[in-house]
Amino acid sequence: MSTNPPSDCPKTLPLCLLAPGVQAEIFSLGGKDAINHRLRELGFCEAAKVKKISGRHTVMCEVCGTKLAISAELAQLIHVQPVAAA
Amino acid sequence: MSAPIFAFVGNPNCGKTTLFNALTGLRQKVGNYPGVTVEKKEGECFSQHGKRMRIVDLPGAYSLAARSPDEAVMRDVLLGRRADTPRPDRIVCIVDAANLERNLYFASQILDLGLPVIVVLNMMDQAESAGLRIDVAALSRRLGVPVIPCQANSGTGLLELRVAMSRADLAPSPRPFWKLPAELAPAVDELVEVLRGSGRSAEATLRAEALLLLGDRETLAAAGLLFAPEALPVVERWEQRWRSAGYDWKGALVAARYGAARVIVHEVVNASKVRSGPSLTDRIDAVVVHPVWGWVTLAAVLATVFLSIFTLAEYPMNWIDSGVAWLADTVRGALQPGDLRDLLTDGVIAGVGGIVIFLPQILILFFFIGLLEQTGYMARAAFLMDRWMGRVGLDGKSFIPLLGSYACAIPGIMATRTIESHRDRLVTILVAPLMTCSARLPVYLLLIAAIVPAEQVPVFTKVGLMFTMFALGTGGAFFFAWLFKRTLLRGEQPMMILELPTYHIPSLRSVGLHMLERASLFLRKAGTVILAISIVLWALTSFPRTEEATPAEQIANSYAGHLGHAIEPVIEPLGFNWQIGVGLITSFAAREVFVSSMAVIFNVDENEEDATVPLRQALLEARWPDGRALFTPLVCFTLMVFYVFALQCVSTIVVVRRETGSWKWPLVQIGYMTATAWIACFAVRQVGLALGFS
Repeated sequence: MSTNPPSDCPKTLPLCLLAPGVQAEIFSLGGKDAINHRLRELGFCEAAKVKKISGRHTVMCEVCGTKLAISAELAQLIHVQPVAAA
Repeated sequence: MSAPIFAFVGNPNCGKTTLFNALTGLRQKVGNYPGVTVEKKEGECFSQHGKRMRIVDLPGAYSLAARSPDEAVMRDVLLGRRADTPRPDRIVCIVDAANLERNLYFASQILDLGLPVIVVLNMMDQAESAGLRIDVAALSRRLGVPVIPCQANSGTGLLELRVAMSRADLAPSPRPFWKLPAELAPAVDELVEVLRGSGRSAEATLRAEALLLLGDRETLAAAGLLFAPEALPVVERWEQRWRSAGYDWKGALVAARYGAARVIVHEVVNASKVRSGPSLTDRIDAVVVHPVWGWVTLAAVLATVFLSIFTLAEYPMNWIDSGVAWLADTVRGALQPGDLRDLLTDGVIAGVGGIVIFLPQILILFFFIGLLEQTGYMARAAFLMDRWMGRVGLDGKSFIPLLGSYACAIPGIMATRTIESHRDRLVTILVAPLMTCSARLPVYLLLIAAIVPAEQVPVFTKVGLMFTMFALGTGGAFFFAWLFKRTLLRGEQPMMILELPTYHIPSLRSVGLHMLERASLFLRKAGTVILAISIVLWALTSFPRTEEATPAEQIANSYAGHLGHAIEPVIEPLGFNWQIGVGLITSFAAREVFVSSMAVIFNVDENEEDATVPLRQALLEARWPDGRALFTPLVCFTLMVFYVFALQCVSTIVVVRRETGSWKWPLVQIGYMTATAWIACFAVRQVGLALGFS
């Protein structure tokens, strides 16, 4: 299971480190196949938009219009690229 | 022709059960799917033409790719793989109108099943409040099936849904609304042919099964060979090919469905009136999940719940107590003295009455839990607790069954069915009985009255001592969860994904139905087992008969008395004697039996008003043979600690056996809890003696 994105990728960070209120695009998922599949089925697909709401450990975020709480360990696996505010 | 069977499916929190309750009312029954610990809910309603329609309310799921026993049952029922449940004829797929994109992912899998489907667009009021306007007709055209807008908690749309369900010309969607990636199409075609040739699957579901095999082979393999074994080499060959080419076929499947869902939402949902800025849910969440105010809110909610249990339940409990006493007196007056009369009054009525009296407290707790779940707050509590549950190796979802165990461990243990990890579920089941249940309350109340020498025990003194016992039990549960996750049930750190639904006004009808359902389950399960055990215990305390003996002398010479004497050497280091030992033995059926056992042993007439006063007095006057007081404050406190940790509930053992599928885990539970109770009591006694208590 990798918490680090590939080296030849744009600047990304784990979802847990994203500041609250910031919208980001999911770049990659670093977990095992089963975990990644589950995350994708809940809307955490590559290129999907996610907005972090709160939390430094357990994270509250919004994806596909739904609010979800995810454990810190899962939030570490989701690599995102912040999106500039419109 | 038999009534058509409709399966109700949908994501969790989509209002599926509210809709099911609205359509079926009390015409529903709750049981279990054989062989698995998953609840089976069936009901019926009537069509527009007065014809009966059967409805099966399947567990909520985000995908046909099952991650928990609930989701596996849902999948297997829909695919016609369960011998005990006929495959549904039609499906009603409930989607949350305010979360259309995510819900359409699961809907796409349901439409793939090739059965007639009606899509219910539920919680329309919340979508409208959020400023969303949905073109229902356009959505119906895109999906190729009828779409019924609905607001289940107010009954809006139910008539239209019944009319749709009554239609004889309901047909499957003519085409999927999502496009299969080109790389996957040959694999799906080949698998469909293999599955068709095996003859195990219905024609309509071949494509859906092929897609499921490509997306979720591991889970299916773990579930046993429910699918044609000849399909697996085909799947493995294609997977190897894609792996070599660096093609993420699972990701592509998910992305294809979500991509199509996103396009549909863009076409049919007008979001121009969506208000910018935080919604009401966001503003409430800013408080309830705040690092400080969130905990204050949680403490206030829990305090309200527990104070309500202690205060509001008192009146109905007194009524039930009077009713049971009246019934016992009536039987006593109607029958001749003898074993039959004693069996009925002291065995049956006392045994059943001892359970029924706690129903008000259990109902109050179920009411609050139902309310908190329906409003959406429970998920926030799980979010708050996730970090701390993570410290002991569990996730926030385990908090909800543990919270339920404060009323009674039985529904709490049953609520663990939603925990996906088998290990985490087992750990939660093993520690749930440590959460101080309502059955412990009469024991604590009696012993607190003995500790505090005032005639009127102030309520805050009771609450303070009670809180200490709650804290001990909760601390014990967390400690043993931590220990089990590092030893006996070592496993990976759980990873919680939990939807936080929009806050909404709870449906009191649904809460009420839920309370009724839980109460009847509780009475049925606990009452049958406890009734049987109470009869056995009555026999143990009544035989052999000692002629012309007082009740206390009869107990002393009975089989139970002999057992009490036999265990006295083991419990004497804790400060307990054989009479307390008899109480411990009899309360193995149910903790509250300890109180009535003490009343019998110490010759207290329970039919006197406010029997706690004379029983407390009798306990304070009880002596060891050498004249020392028996129920000293230290002994009473030690007894309370015993009841915190000991598994004195045969009904819980029976439920754990059923939920875990073997006797291994109930025996582990009895072993570790009994050992912990003894060690904790010994430690308390030694510390107490060292501090000068006797």
